[in-house]
Amino acid sequence: MISSPLLSPMEEEPYLEIYLDQCLNQDEPASTSSHLFSPIGPYDAYLHISSNQETLASHLEPSKDTSDFSSVDLSFLPDELNQENIEQTFTEGKEGVEGNHETQGDPSRLQELSEKNNNDICTHNLSLSNSGLHQLSDGTSTLPSPENSNSSFFPLTSMTPLTPMTPVSEGSGIVPQLQNIVSTVNLACKLDLKKIALHAKNAEYNPKRFAAVIMRIREPRTTALIFSSGKMVCTGAKSEELSRLAARKFARVVQKLGFPARFLDFKIQNMVGSCDVRFPIRLESLVLTHQQFSSYEPELFPGLVYRMVKPRIVLLIFVSGKVVLTGAKERSEIYEAFENIYPILKGFKKA
Amino acid sequence: MSGGAQGRGRCPDCGCAELVEDSHYSQSQLVCADCGCVVSEGLLTTTFADEGHLREVTYSKSTGENERVSRSQQRGLRRVRDLCRVLQLPSTFEETAVSYYQRAFQHPGLHAARLQKKEVLVGCCVLVTCRQHNWPLTMGTICTLLYANLELFSGTYLQIVKVLGLDVPALSLADLVKTYCSSFKLFQASPSVAVKFVEDKEKMIPRTLQLVELASETWLVTGRHPVPVITAAAYLAWRSLQPGGRLTCSLSRFCKLAGVDLPHPAYLRVQELLAILLRMAGQLAWLRILNLDKQTVVKHIGDLLQHRCILLRQAFRDEAEEEEDGQQEEGEEAGSSTLEVLERKRPASSPPPLLPPCMLRPPKRPCPTPADSRITGDEDISDSEIEQYLRTPREIKDFQRAQAASQAVSGAPTPS
Repeated sequence: MISSPLLSPMEEEPYLEIYLDQCLNQDEPASTSSHLFSPIGPYDAYLHISSNQETLASHLEPSKDTSDFSSVDLSFLPDELNQENIEQTFTEGKEGVEGNHETQGDPSRLQELSEKNNNDICTHNLSLSNSGLHQLSDGTSTLPSPENSNSSFFPLTSMTPLTPMTPVSEGSGIVPQLQNIVSTVNLACKLDLKKIALHAKNAEYNPKRFAAVIMRIREPRTTALIFSSGKMVCTGAKSEELSRLAARKFARVVQKLGFPARFLDFKIQNMVGSCDVRFPIRLESLVLTHQQFSSYEPELFPGLVYRMVKPRIVLLIFVSGKVVLTGAKERSEIYEAFENIYPILKGFKKA
Repeated sequence: MSGGAQGRGRCPDCGCAELVEDSHYSQSQLVCADCGCVVSEGLLTTTFADEGHLREVTYSKSTGENERVSRSQQRGLRRVRDLCRVLQLPSTFEETAVSYYQRAFQHPGLHAARLQKKEVLVGCCVLVTCRQHNWPLTMGTICTLLYANLELFSGTYLQIVKVLGLDVPALSLADLVKTYCSSFKLFQASPSVAVKFVEDKEKMIPRTLQLVELASETWLVTGRHPVPVITAAAYLAWRSLQPGGRLTCSLSRFCKLAGVDLPHPAYLRVQELLAILLRMAGQLAWLRILNLDKQTVVKHIGDLLQHRCILLRQAFRDEAEEEEDGQQEEGEEAGSSTLEVLERKRPASSPPPLLPPCMLRPPKRPCPTPADSRITGDEDISDSEIEQYLRTPREIKDFQRAQAASQAVSGAPTPS
């Protein structure tokens, strides 16, 4: 018996047996259950497996927009915290498994399910460990590194499903990277743009073209538009903190030029993130099924523009699998939007 | 009111030339002075001045219908009708397009737009109508008809779809193929088209359709402009139908013969299609021994299209099956994604994956993963760091002198 990351062999046995029972109920040859005994590699490998295959968990995801841990079997966690959930999750798990057989979704999905059912148990187990681990990390203050998790066992602090701080869930193993943050700040004093352009090396000012000074700093690599009213727009930072730091540096430059600049109402206006799902996407089919949200005009733009309602984010989806998310005011909106779109995109993976 | 009788015509009864304008109550009548027969009566319409001159007043003018509609909107509606007639659209399309234009005109954003945008709006309404009836009309066609640039057209089109909340279906590729190919001038011999280049429409269009379907199955159509794909497919289909005389004909020559513009991406599409066809040909035993290249494979396009389903499946392995095999064979070093599966060592004889061309090309530069820094945003900012961005007084003087000098040389007005 191999040891799974979070349980000692003794504790995990009864739960494995229950899984095996479920598995025998399905029309799968017994040899496929050998997947449970596949040797454990680095933790990262499991993240990638679950991202590659159509997991049971993603089918079980309820339509709630918050965390989808309620349908996930958390029975491997210590008893007193989740006794009440065990029964519920088991029945849901069973329904989910049976439900998958009856799914009359696209033929591709059905085909996937029949092919992948043998893998589902393995990934289900692994995805639980993912979800369990990250739920645990909510409670603890430091994020455990994946390599350490194999040996330690973390006490569970809270059972209520929380939106994870780190954006990894069973659905995908992919984290969108932030590419650009746009923020505004009020310097609260009238500025003489000509004087700024004259005294600062990193400023350009062309009043015939645009009525603001364009100033750039090297660290963090950002650009600011400074208006004569004292308002400033800062763009190009890769994180919220960097944007704030950059805005402060710009304000400091203006201060050193002799203006009584302050730093009021710093606000992040827009955040742009991008990621890669690493499989090609049939945009024509996506626009047919999600017509009310998508706009795909190959004559105008090669990507599909998906306007998600909750959270209010615009996603640009390309045939290569790259996704750009924009319109967020908070980092969590980007992560949430990606987690919402990932199962939809997976549905078009082999269409 | 009574006026002179000259120049009003003759009485039909007695032939007398003396016709008097007389009014019976408020209705004016033209009466023969001799026999009293009423030659003509006033019209039951409104405008006093016009009736005074016995000129007919049209319904739309008399009811004031057009007074409600501004002149600019009237002009736009007329343009919509003209455009529909030029494109020879059915009459129902005209009414729909007119109603869209009227609705769009209500919106303040479009109401106050410049004339150029209103002109483009005409095209957008017609395009939306055509799309909704599955009439294949490309944006390029409308832009050339309206002499508009595509950027303005695209902005207005997306705006109007959002503003009116319209549900616009996608351009139907099959219909576009038929319309586009029917516009070719290859179906009859003419001074510019030699007999060996003439092709039967009924043979060319189905083959082009099959090639376009092949392209869409192999990811050559998604995300790309549809017209170059169709041009490329038509070119290959035309060549394959009579390879004897046509193998040497280039794409640009073909477009000149057909009388259509050559879209630049068509070159790439031809290459991509040929690559797919070569892969498929590699699966047929009797073609494998021939060692086909991009020219000679054209001769066998007919056979390849006939068996395309099976050949595609054999020629390109499905990534799903690859992953499954990968999983079962290489348990611990599990493949992380489609791309990494490609990069790993696999037997040289295994077929390549069926992916869009953008995924097959190696990435231009590696995407840098950002350093996970613990920046709080409230760090101290050193003075020296800020001072590096400021000019010294000496530099300021130099800069001002240089600016003044350059302004004096160029003769520009006072510097900024």
